[in-house]
Amino acid sequence: MSFVPGQPVTAVVERVEIQKLRQGENLILGFSIGGGIDQDPGQNPFSEDKSDKGIYVTRISPKGPADLAGLKIGDKIMQVNGWDMTMVTHDQARKKLTKKKEDVVRLLVTRKSLEEAVKHSKGCYPKP
Amino acid sequence: MFCRNQTARATVARGSALEMEIRRGKFRKSVFLDTSQDSDIQKKIDHEIRMRDGACKLLAACSQKDQALEAAKSLQTCSTRIMAYMSELQRMKEAQVMQKVTRRSSDAGPMDDRLPCKGKVAISDLRIPLMWKDTEYFKNKGELHRCAVFCLLQLGEEIFDTDMVIVDRTLTDICFDNTIVFSEASPGFELRVELYSCCSEDDYSAGSTPRKLASKLSSSLGRSAGKKLRAAMEPGPCSPVSNGGGAPLLLPVPSVPGPKYHLLAHTTLSLSHVQDSFRTHDLIISGNEECSYWLPLYGSMCCRLAAQPHCMTQQMMSGCLKVKQCGGDPQSWTKVHAVLKGTSLFCYYRQEDVEANVEPAFTIGINKETRIRASEKDPLSKVQNICISNHYGGEEVTHTVTTDSREETHRWMEAFWQHFYDMSQWKQCCDDLMKIELPSPRKPAPITPKQGSLYHEMVIESSDDLSSTVSDILARRMQELELRSQLGTSPTWMSAFEESNARCTGRSRHCTRMSGHSPCTPHRLPRSPVSPHRCPQLGLLSSDASLTSDSDSHCSTSPCSHHHGWPDPTSSYSLLSSSPSRLRPRTLSLDAKLSTLRGRGYGGGGTFQCSCQPPPSSPLAPLPISSRSPRSQHSTQTTLSCSSSTSSNSSSNSEGSHSPESSEGGPFSRPSPARRSLRNLRARLDPRNWLQSQV
Repeated sequence: MSFVPGQPVTAVVERVEIQKLRQGENLILGFSIGGGIDQDPGQNPFSEDKSDKGIYVTRISPKGPADLAGLKIGDKIMQVNGWDMTMVTHDQARKKLTKKKEDVVRLLVTRKSLEEAVKHSKGCYPKP
Repeated sequence: MFCRNQTARATVARGSALEMEIRRGKFRKSVFLDTSQDSDIQKKIDHEIRMRDGACKLLAACSQKDQALEAAKSLQTCSTRIMAYMSELQRMKEAQVMQKVTRRSSDAGPMDDRLPCKGKVAISDLRIPLMWKDTEYFKNKGELHRCAVFCLLQLGEEIFDTDMVIVDRTLTDICFDNTIVFSEASPGFELRVELYSCCSEDDYSAGSTPRKLASKLSSSLGRSAGKKLRAAMEPGPCSPVSNGGGAPLLLPVPSVPGPKYHLLAHTTLSLSHVQDSFRTHDLIISGNEECSYWLPLYGSMCCRLAAQPHCMTQQMMSGCLKVKQCGGDPQSWTKVHAVLKGTSLFCYYRQEDVEANVEPAFTIGINKETRIRASEKDPLSKVQNICISNHYGGEEVTHTVTTDSREETHRWMEAFWQHFYDMSQWKQCCDDLMKIELPSPRKPAPITPKQGSLYHEMVIESSDDLSSTVSDILARRMQELELRSQLGTSPTWMSAFEESNARCTGRSRHCTRMSGHSPCTPHRLPRSPVSPHRCPQLGLLSSDASLTSDSDSHCSTSPCSHHHGWPDPTSSYSLLSSSPSRLRPRTLSLDAKLSTLRGRGYGGGGTFQCSCQPPPSSPLAPLPISSRSPRSQHSTQTTLSCSSSTSSNSSSNSEGSHSPESSEGGPFSRPSPARRSLRNLRARLDPRNWLQSQV
């Protein structure tokens, strides 16, 4: 999941579609993000690789839009509405998530359990 | 017995001719004395005197503070060494004299006492914790009171000093990285550790110390020096008439203006403190708070004291042996070259193997459990055998060893006895060889990441200073705010708040701390037990407006019975923190407090718009507040801004570090883009943060 310079990043992702919730003037998603290429990756409690500067979900508001959509804490966000999130600054990431004109965000997120699930499922089926 | 003018006199009067002779190094011992040992010491004394003179000159000549401190340190070390050598000299003279006396009086037999072997003692990783008052530590106002400290370590005749460290109230421990190795220590050693400190204020220059005081200080002896002298002066049993008055045995200490070190603490370590790991020892502190060189010591010292007795590292005995295992063929003696070292007797087939580092043919353990006895004379060879028994597991294994001649056997027995004696004297040091790392000259200083200090892990409960500081900051900001035009897009209804704002700001300057003044439902400052959020009738966006607990801003925003939020005053708070960050290089307390409070209360986003729900238990809450680096003041800033963010704008809040964000459910407010960018800029600029944003 982490970035190796020169190599394409591959990951098993899950699509999460979150409808923003309007609260007065604000559109909220109900989660918090951490990370970014301008941040210190060593302080990320969720990353496996402590040099991973990706954007991670650090908190989910219970019963918020993100929670209902199936986003989990510790997920790494790979894309938001088509915009890449693996190599962005923290602020860029935040901006992509909080565009006022959009009221739905489609995320591609990855987590360790996804990889495992795929591995297990691959193991079951004999190769053709 | 002794005439006064005998050169074998024990004491040397100050300014006496003998002393001058010593100084000039022309002292020639009397016929009674052993010349070689003394001349050794004499040479050392000369060397130290020269060093001391050099240090004095340097001290007088140098202008830089650091140089002066270093020179003063060398001066102190040299003086201590000189005194130690002098007292050693004196002791030796006394011993000579005593021996002479006993020889004369009785025919004392040869000394039968067994002396234990010597060893190396190493002390490393000295760390002395400090105990600043938290007010001192955090206030960061006024000049930084700095002291230069170093440690003087003395074992027998060897005196070493550590590097000098400058200590001020930002340090929690005094750490000395040096490893000091003493090479000839006996098991009954006493390692004296002394911590010297010298105040290094800026105004300590040569000229500022009052002349009288300076001369007094430099010509008087420190407490430890005086004690040592008195000990050295202790008249031995054979000492003749003391030279009247007991003038101190010392060459005149040169009075050089400049920094002078004083003894701050000391302790004595001995064999019982030796261990292969770190241990804490108590310090005896001299001096009190009034002294200029005072540092608030916690009272203990951590270090690693290791010892390598020579019996563990060197070959104690080697020679040819014939070994037979018990139960084997009585005629099958194996001829080996045996080396007694450490806890084993290594048996090599050939002597060359020892140097060649070939594995020994076999090894017989010689440790505390081993039993060695001489058996009866072998009828064939007329030489006694030596039986070495060990317990391996549950079994007893005996090796029988013999040599070619009786003298050899006797020597080996002697060696074994000596070895056992050494092991009994050195006790725990002989269980296993302790590692002593000699400091390699080329090792670069390890770049340790900035260590989190204890203070970072302290959770700070409410403190009055804290709130008042924050209130002051807020009040100041309110002022600024009044002058500023509105930022961001506030909805029209916000303007209704402006008057009330204006009304309230004036008051808020006084009432930021407590709600008392305001006519409206007060917010109380979050002191620990009090529920952090209040719900006045501020209702914006359908929720009670309770500001987040962690900022005192809500106090100032309490006033209104109107339902409003606080666009501008709150925005000011986001800029507020720039001043604290500028004023205080360390605002840990503020951050820590705010973070803890935030943990209790609402997170950043929900300001007064948060409902009065109990604070959510954020999954991040249990994260320790301390990160490796001190909290930056940006968390202050972001906290405040978050708590005071307006209702209208949609932008996420950035918070510093791992603090949990604001609650769910309730409406979130996001500050205006301009404020946000300013805050973000500051938060971004601090690399120690790991930002989290709420979206």
